Amino acid sequence: MTYNWTPFSYLVINLARQIRPNERTFSGVNSNLPMLACLLAKRAYDFHYTFLNVAGGVEAEPTTIPHSSSDPAIVVGSPAVFDQEDFYDLSARGGLDMVYLGCAQIDALGRTNVSAIGSWHEPKVKLPGGGGAAVLMPTARRVVTWRTEHSKRALVEKLDFITAAGNLQTLVTPIAVFQKRNGRLALESWNPQVSLADVVKQTGFEFDAALATNTEPATARELDALSSLDPDGAFESEVRI
Amino acid sequence: MGNYGPKKLCTLNALIERIPDDTSIALGGVFLHRGPFAAVRELVRQQKRNLEIIKTAPAYDLDLLCRSGAVSKAQAGIIAMEGNFGLAPWSRKAIEKKEIVLIEHACPTLIAGMRAARYGLPFQPIAGVHGSELAALNNWKAIKDPYGSGKEVYVIPAIVPDVAIIHVHEMDEYGNARVFGSPFWDRVITRAAKRLLLTAERIVSTDELRKQPELTLIPGFMVEAAAHVPRGAWPGSMSGYYDIDYGAVENYLIDSTDTLETHFNDAPEAEAQTATYASNED
Repeated sequence: MTYNWTPFSYLVINLARQIRPNERTFSGVNSNLPMLACLLAKRAYDFHYTFLNVAGGVEAEPTTIPHSSSDPAIVVGSPAVFDQEDFYDLSARGGLDMVYLGCAQIDALGRTNVSAIGSWHEPKVKLPGGGGAAVLMPTARRVVTWRTEHSKRALVEKLDFITAAGNLQTLVTPIAVFQKRNGRLALESWNPQVSLADVVKQTGFEFDAALATNTEPATARELDALSSLDPDGAFESEVRI
Repeated sequence: MGNYGPKKLCTLNALIERIPDDTSIALGGVFLHRGPFAAVRELVRQQKRNLEIIKTAPAYDLDLLCRSGAVSKAQAGIIAMEGNFGLAPWSRKAIEKKEIVLIEHACPTLIAGMRAARYGLPFQPIAGVHGSELAALNNWKAIKDPYGSGKEVYVIPAIVPDVAIIHVHEMDEYGNARVFGSPFWDRVITRAAKRLLLTAERIVSTDELRKQPELTLIPGFMVEAAAHVPRGAWPGSMSGYYDIDYGAVENYLIDSTDTLETHFNDAPEAEAQTATYASNED
């Protein structure tokens, strides 16, 4: 069996694989990879799920794929507009099944920091902030995050600041997929282009790898869908690793 | 025809002259989408100082105001240029160097504060926040359900902006305004602020709006003043009208005084404003 993941294809396809049939799934601001994952799932998988996004789209069928995940282009084709008030309130009352939320740092408990590197009051780097994370992470049923850099400074033993905590279930990096098990992130599968030892070496927290396997290779449909979404490689070139 | 009260239209220049220094301003839109960016540039042209900016997801707007020294405080949930542009460089620097005070919210906690204002309440309960250090950072309190469920609920104090500025698609001369595509948070913002100013892409007749009044997001009686500003969300997008001008955003991000001046000269409202300034000098 041959594997030819790129960091970009590994991230997008494994983010798409977290989408489950008949669920309500939401992609937010600053989230090009989840936006692509949601659109990929619509093209590569036969099951139905409800695709909501921060631009207000409901089951959107965009004709062009924007490079801003809050762009009105991902409302195109929607039979309804579901705005900020609506989707946060939906999550608050337990009606949002899965949401993608970004992170700069993540710890073994699946808590995230998107606020600052260093102390919040004297930051080395002021990060953008978590958007809705502090509200969505405890209220959405399941949260999926991703990090384009798999390193000890991103996957950390101790966060510099806890922006959000709660129902984080999944972390996808260019080389690994973690799932929360018994309250801690455990390795579910890894990119066989690297070794398990590499994954351990590049991770700042200890994790259980007992059940981990090689990540299933991308299917032809997944790869076709991805290339249809990024025909000129513009999104792929945005993923700086 | 009915009497619809006073007309609200004025120039962009006159609209922004209504805002004194030391004002808290809620801005409409999200990131680079349907922000009242011409109005923001006019705040810079008029050299406003000590403004407080309130917006869940500011981008170019807060960044430009920080770059121009117009801001002393911001309340926001996420600050970035989005897409492939990354962090907003001047607002980041202003925060790191403590040139401005940042109140870091989650987007919906900022809106909870404005919902409190909208409902005429001192605070607003909100789901979530548990486990986030934002609560301690901002001294947010949790209260026990007084009806005995045992649940602890965070309550966010009211946020009452002095002014809200929203950019809309269509408006009549009385300030009745339509927004197409997502209203984002703008329904809450327009109800929470003490004063409401609008800029609009197009001016339409009141008769046109009367055909489908349910499409009007903002009734004119709530509006203090409004200006006709085509391409007023440039270099951002306006749903159904125009897309992000990526080249203009890239040029804006170049760190030189020349590029900033060029950026202001390239702005769609620049010609009209120059004409206004010229006539004021007569």
